[in-house]
Parts: sequence; structure tokens; C-alpha cells
Amino acid sequence: MNCPQSETPASLYRFLAQSFRYPEQAWLTEPYFDLLGNIKQNLALNSDATGLHWNYNAESDGLELLQIEYTRLFINAAPAVIAPPYSSIYLDHEGNLYGQSAVWVKQFYQLHGFDVEGEGDIPDHLVLELEFLALLIEEQQGDKAEQFLNEHFRRWFPLFRERVLSGSTNQFYSTLLTLVDFFTREEP
Amino acid sequence: MAFQMTRRSFLQASASAALTTALSTWLASGAQARSGFVRKPFTAPGSFGDTTTVTGGVCEMCFWRCQLVGKLRDGKLVKLEGNPKSIDNGASICARGNAGVKLLYDPDRLKYPLKNVGKRGAPVWKRISWDEALDECASRLQGVIKNNGPQGIAIFPHGASATYPMHYFEKVVGTPNNSEASFFQCRGPRDMAYINTFGVQAGENVDMPNAKAILLVGTHIGENIHVSHVKQYLKGLENGAKLIVVDPRFSSSAAKADVWVQIKPGTDTAFLLAVMNYLVKKKTYDSAYVQKNGEGFDKFAKAIAHAELDWAAKICDVPAAQIKEVADLLATNAPHVSIHPGRHVTWYGTDFQRERALACLTGLLGAIGTKGGFVVPKGPKLGKVAWPDIGAEHAEEFALHKMAEKHQFSPPGTPTQMLRDTAISGKPYAIKACITWGQNPIQTIPGQQETIKMLQQMDFVMVVDVMPTDITMYADILLPELSYLERYDIVKTGVQWDLNDKHQQYIAPRMPLVSSVSADHQRKDSVWITNELAKRLGHTKQIPAPSAEAMVDKILAGAQLSVAQIRKEDGIHLQSGTDPYGMVYPVRFFNEDLADAGYSGAPSYTPVAEPPQGFARLVYGRVPVHTFNRTMNNVWLNAEIPENPIWLNQTTAEKLGLKNGDRINLVNQDGVVSVKAGVLKVTLGIRKDTIFTAHGYGTKNPAMTNGVNKGFDDQALITNPAVDPETGAHGMRTSFVRIMKDGKVLSIPA
Ligand code: SF4
Repeated sequence: MNCPQSETPASLYRFLAQSFRYPEQAWLTEPYFDLLGNIKQNLALNSDATGLHWNYNAESDGLELLQIEYTRLFINAAPAVIAPPYSSIYLDHEGNLYGQSAVWVKQFYQLHGFDVEGEGDIPDHLVLELEFLALLIEEQQGDKAEQFLNEHFRRWFPLFRERVLSGSTNQFYSTLLTLVDFFTREEP
Repeated sequence: MAFQMTRRSFLQASASAALTTALSTWLASGAQARSGFVRKPFTAPGSFGDTTTVTGGVCEMCFWRCQLVGKLRDGKLVKLEGNPKSIDNGASICARGNAGVKLLYDPDRLKYPLKNVGKRGAPVWKRISWDEALDECASRLQGVIKNNGPQGIAIFPHGASATYPMHYFEKVVGTPNNSEASFFQCRGPRDMAYINTFGVQAGENVDMPNAKAILLVGTHIGENIHVSHVKQYLKGLENGAKLIVVDPRFSSSAAKADVWVQIKPGTDTAFLLAVMNYLVKKKTYDSAYVQKNGEGFDKFAKAIAHAELDWAAKICDVPAAQIKEVADLLATNAPHVSIHPGRHVTWYGTDFQRERALACLTGLLGAIGTKGGFVVPKGPKLGKVAWPDIGAEHAEEFALHKMAEKHQFSPPGTPTQMLRDTAISGKPYAIKACITWGQNPIQTIPGQQETIKMLQQMDFVMVVDVMPTDITMYADILLPELSYLERYDIVKTGVQWDLNDKHQQYIAPRMPLVSSVSADHQRKDSVWITNELAKRLGHTKQIPAPSAEAMVDKILAGAQLSVAQIRKEDGIHLQSGTDPYGMVYPVRFFNEDLADAGYSGAPSYTPVAEPPQGFARLVYGRVPVHTFNRTMNNVWLNAEIPENPIWLNQTTAEKLGLKNGDRINLVNQDGVVSVKAGVLKVTLGIRKDTIFTAHGYGTKNPAMTNGVNKGFDDQALITNPAVDPETGAHGMRTSFVRIMKDGKVLSIPA
């Protein structure tokens, strides 16, 4: 298949999906940061893109600070949560969860033989969408991954990314957003 | 972005092979979570296969508990409707009921347990696990119990799901310091007044559909919407009932009234005394009922003998002829008259006496157990789930109002004002932990600065809620609760909405309409949360139900029913009922117990403070699409009525050069200025000495992204609440305001 999506390893999307789960000791390990460093290094060969030269420092960055930042950005915050990681927030005019775009996403999953695990799961969470890309690629359905990105993901991710970047100076998340963008953006 | 590289060149670079290997190794180590997906072969939905109806919902957008069904499409709730099987609300629900869908999917909802790593009032949140959260709550509460005794814990509950934890803390842990907004800032004086007159709770048990006359004092049905109640009221009007509305404002009810008594606020009791005195003197009351069932009638008659029509006319600023007209109208239609007990009755700190007057007037007219009168229908019997009373004695011993021998007719719990004063002063004992459960004391309790002071002196503050209301900003640990659409909790019971119809009873437990199984949140129901706390506080043995579902099952078992059976019966069990008419209650016209405790044994009128010169009294009510602050963040409801209008008399407005739609602030007698300018509604439909607005607006927590700063919070202006001597409930229509326009304060002309 001559589609750029099928060339990106599924494991990469899975890695990115994991990166947007709640930061916990259990997975924010040395091997994780080694990998992140590795990806960045590969990318940064001749680039000065934001955050790519940053390295996680357990002391100054600290797990707790990361948890606080994640909570503030994506869960609940005072004064207000910065960027709920769901497509409907950005694509549907009421800005509620589970809007039309989420319904579209769920149907897309189902059409390709998958469904979300929990009955009450909201289907368009960033983590789920990235995991779904990994699944499609594993199934050799790179063209479907491209369709998913084109018809859905690329419509909201940049808006979401913008909200995070304008509401946060956190290097970890800005780096990850740069990586997600790199691996999902449209390429000739 | 400054990548020179394309994805393709990245992937083709020799280094990427090594990366792929590294990624695979990492994945194989199992460091990542499950994908969140299951494989499911695609099956095309049939043409009707995509929408399912789930029964068993009970609404909680307000507390009337209409029975619902949910329309679901592939797990997503798309619509709420009344349960067609309902003999209460029927297929109808109100605007708020409809908008429940938007609460369910409100992105601002609380999702995970949070720990405040910032300050109380200026929180910085960190998501933590339930174990961590519960361990911390338990150890901090334990610390307070150890240092200060169980009475060192205060709880502010509200709503059906808060009953289970409230009883745990009262009965098992043993704290008396429980302040329910539904009593002390709402219905308390009514409930206690009727119990101390008829021996039964008032509820809103007037048979309006079959009444020949309806008297509403301050009640504004239509702005205040409870579906089956509105149905009863409208049916009564349709059947030709005469409507008498006593209100300083041309409310939606006044607009339908045959007689609108535009009374001066604060004087309703004088009005009621004069009506009763007139009936007694004219002997047009129901002497047969009174003779048979009255208690202390002569003493009562003597005590109100001074209340002549002219006396009241002067006090109430209404014509004596109109008071007479009302009295005659009621007597002519007796005993088929609905003297409405009201609902939110905490107005002036003299409210118990006004409610006593309403009950006595009902008795005087013999309007008890009659068609159109005060009728308490008999509901079905249920089983019970109760915490054992092991701490009740301790709680009783430390009940502040009992220690001080004050407020002897307090509803259950501790009067809020005493509780808060005690917490701030530390006398007679310290109160060092605060639990709020579904209540937002910042907006329910008048005197916000004192409430904040109380919170700041606590050693520990725990908050359980669905939305990030203002109180959540003060939490140390904030716990997310499942909404009413996702949990089991109460079992709602009742009878058909029109008592004159076929006698039926219904049993409708609240059951989830949508699944709470989701990786998107870790919300829990109150039974689970309370049980987990109880286990950690050494009360495993006392737990009365292992889960919310089991609790409901146990309650239903008392009626030979079960959750499974109710599901089979489409969410509502119907059974035949009994004729509600014909019951007789004694009427304690003069209540010796009250007299013995030093209160007035007969209903009595105490004047309330007058507005100082240049001020008007601030009164408040509801708008039909909001349940005070609870619904402010809802996108649909917010879009309907986003701000609370300020009603001002037209003549006053003209004198002050103000127009409809002007933006003005209110300034109260203590110089407190409303945080935001409100929109002026200029109308002939309000007295000159009165300014009206709707309650519950002006959310301060920016985490409520739709509700924040919409309208202004009138509670912030209620800085001088009164306290009802008999019940200890707050009086909240005690503030006086002037107008501020463009920075200039304008006095209200007389
Ligand atoms: S009156 Fe409206 S908000 Fe209240 S329970 Fe009924 S439908 Fe719900």
C-alpha cells in the first residue's frame, strides 16, 4: 500500500496514545523517556522545533507537577479546564461532550470492526482515536487510517493543540503535541 | 513548525528501524494500558434498531422527581421524555427535565477524585486515585473525631443521594451538625408549622384540581415549575376555581388571579390574621369542624381578636375591602378551598408563624380531607434501609440548639446559623471538618463571608458533587458523583396526580438510564463512597446495603418488588390505592407546647424591619427554566434565560430616569454592591417599595464555563439574614437595596 499511514508503525500511535493517559509512576519510567528521547532525536536531526531539545528532568519536572498540569489541562481546573481532549468540544457548536462528531467517530469504529470497551465510554477521546489508528494499521488498513485522519482527526486536533499551547507552557505536553501532529498531519 | 523532515523520510531513515524495535520492546513490556477497544463485527442497524427506550429514570433537575424514559442511540442518550406509564407527570417533563441530556455530557462535570494542592478558595487540582482520596478523607475525619469528637464534623447535604451519607454521619459517627438547605433555607418552617398544627407534614398537599378557590401566598406556580403540581393547579383553574394571589409582584400566578392582593412584603401574617378574625367574628368559619377537631380555639380567637380589617389594611397597604373580599370568597367556597402551604418559605425570620396561620386558616375553613382541601393521600408501603443508631445519643447530647435551649421547633439537623457561629467562634465546641454533599453552601446560605470564614477555619473540607459549583473551590478533597441519570438511589412513590381520578399508587425507583461504565471518568454513587468511608472509619459491620442497587432492591422488597421486577414493569409499578378523602386531622389553633416553650401559642404577627429611607426591599424567586444554581451551567437552559432580570416599579424608574433594559447594579444596606450589573425590567407589576430578581445566578467558579458570571448572585446581597425563633431557619428577604447606575448610587423615592 502506497499510503504514508501504513508506513508509520502502529506501535508509534500506541506510544502516543499512552502518553496522553494520566501521568503515573507505573508507565512514566526510564524506558518510556528513553523512547521519547529516541523519537525526538530521530526527528530533531536538523530541526529546532518547539520542545524537541527539552529533556525530562525528574527533579524539576516531577511527577506531581505533571499530574497537576494534566488535571488542569484535560480534567478539571480552577479557573477552568483548558482543553478537554474530545473532538466534539471543538467541532460541535454547543461544545458539549458526545456531540455529532463523536457519534460519527463511533460509527467509524464500528464500520471497521471495533467498538469502545465501556458502555458509557465517550468515543472521541484523543487516546481512543490514537489507539484506533494503531489498530487500523495493524489490520493493514492504512487507507482507512488516512480517511479517519482526513475526515475527522485533522479537523479538530489542531484546534485542540492550539488551546493547549495557548494555555500552557508545559514542555512535556507541547513536545507530545508536536509529535502527534507530525505523525498525523497531511503529507504529499 | 520547523521540521525539515517529512514523515516518510523519518520513517525511511536508518535510525527508524532501531526505533521500531525499541517501541516493540516497550510495548511487549506491558507498560501501556489496554487499548480501550473491543473487536465487534459490524452489523447494520435495522431501520428501527438504532434507538432504544430505557425506562426507570427519575428526574433530578429539580427535586420533584418526575418519572422519565431515556432514548438511547448506541449508548448515547439523545433524549429524555416523561414515562408514559407515569400517573404523576405522565408523558410531560419541563424544560429543565429535557435539558438533563446536557448535564450528562457537560464537559465541566467532575470526573475523578481531586486533591487540592493549592489553597482553599484558590485551588490547584491534582487527580488522585479513589484509594488515595478515601484514605485521606478517612484519616483526616478520624483526626477530627479524635481531637474534637464526632460533633466536630459538619455536613451540608442536599438531594436524594445525600441522604445515605447524611444518616451515616448523624446516626453512626454521631454528629448533630447537619444543615440541610431544604430545611433551613427552604421548607423547614412550613413543615414544622403544619406538624405542630395538624400533626402531619404539609408537603404541597392541596387538592387544587377539585378546589373551588385557591389561595397562594407568595407562591408563584408557573415560574416555579413542578410538573404534576402545575397540572393540578391548571386543572383547578380550568374547572373554574377562583384564584387569590397575595404577592407584591404581578407574578405568573397573579396574572391568572381573580383577586390579586398586592401586599407590602413582610406583612402576610397580619393579612392572614385579619382574614381569620373576620371569619371568626362573622361566624362564617366551619364551626362544626372546629368544634369537633379544634384545640384551643377560644384562646386562639381571643389572641387574634385585635386583627381587624382596618388594622391589617394599614399594615399590609391593601384596602380593607379587599381583605374582606378574600375572606368572603374563601368562606363561600369552603370547605373546597386550597390554602397552599408554599414551598420555599424562609422569607423574614417570622415564617413559622405565617405557616401556622395558613394551617389554622385551613382548619378554620374545615378544608381538611375535603375535595379541593388539604388532603394527604396515602402512598404505598416500602421497605427500609437504615444505618443503626449507635451514635444518635451522642449527637443528641451535642445538638447546639438543644444545649442552648433555642429553636425548640427546629426541623431535623442543626440550625445553620448556630452551626456556622459555633464553627467560627469555637464555642461551645470546635467544628473542624466540613463535608458538603450535593449542596453548594456558598449560594444556599446567606452571609457568604461568614460561610467562607467557617470553611477557612476547618482542618478538613471534603466536597462531593456532580458539577464544579462554587463550594468545590473550598475543598481539600473533591469527589465526583454519578449524576441522577447514571445511578440508583431513591424510590419515588405517590398517587395519581388528580386525587379525584381512579385511586392508584405508584412506585418508581431511580435506576440508571445510561451506563456508568466508562474509561472517561471514575465517578461513583453515594452509597459506594459512603461505604468505603465507613469501612475505613471502622464501621464495616454497620453498613446497611452493599451497593446502591442492593439498597433499592431492599427498599422494594418491602413492597414485594425488586429492581428486576420494576424493569419488567417499564420503570413504574402501579397498584390500586385508597380513597384519600374524608380524613380528619386535629387542628391546634392554640398550641400549648409552643406557649410552654415561650413562643406564641396562637399564630401571631411580628413586624419585620422596614426599608431605610431611599431603599427598597429585595425579594427573589425563580425562573421556570432554572432550579436556582443547580442548572446554571446547562447550555440549553443557560441559553433560555442567561441572566436574572431586576424588576423595578415603572413610576420609580421614571423618577430615576431609568429605562427598560438599562444595566444597573444593586447596593445593599451594608454597602455590598452586586458583582455584576443586571438588566432592568421596568414594570407596573411591582410595588415601589420592592425590587425583585431571580435567585441562584452569578456563579463564581470559572470551572462552570457556561454559568460563570451570568447574571448576579443575589445571595451576596443578603448580608443580614434573620433567624426564625421557633425553627432556627434563615429569613432571606431581609435585604434592602438601592440602585447604582454608571457608578452613581440612586435612592429609591418613596
Ligand atoms: S419538574 Fe422538571 S426538573 Fe423537576 S423533576 Fe419534573 S421534569 Fe425534572
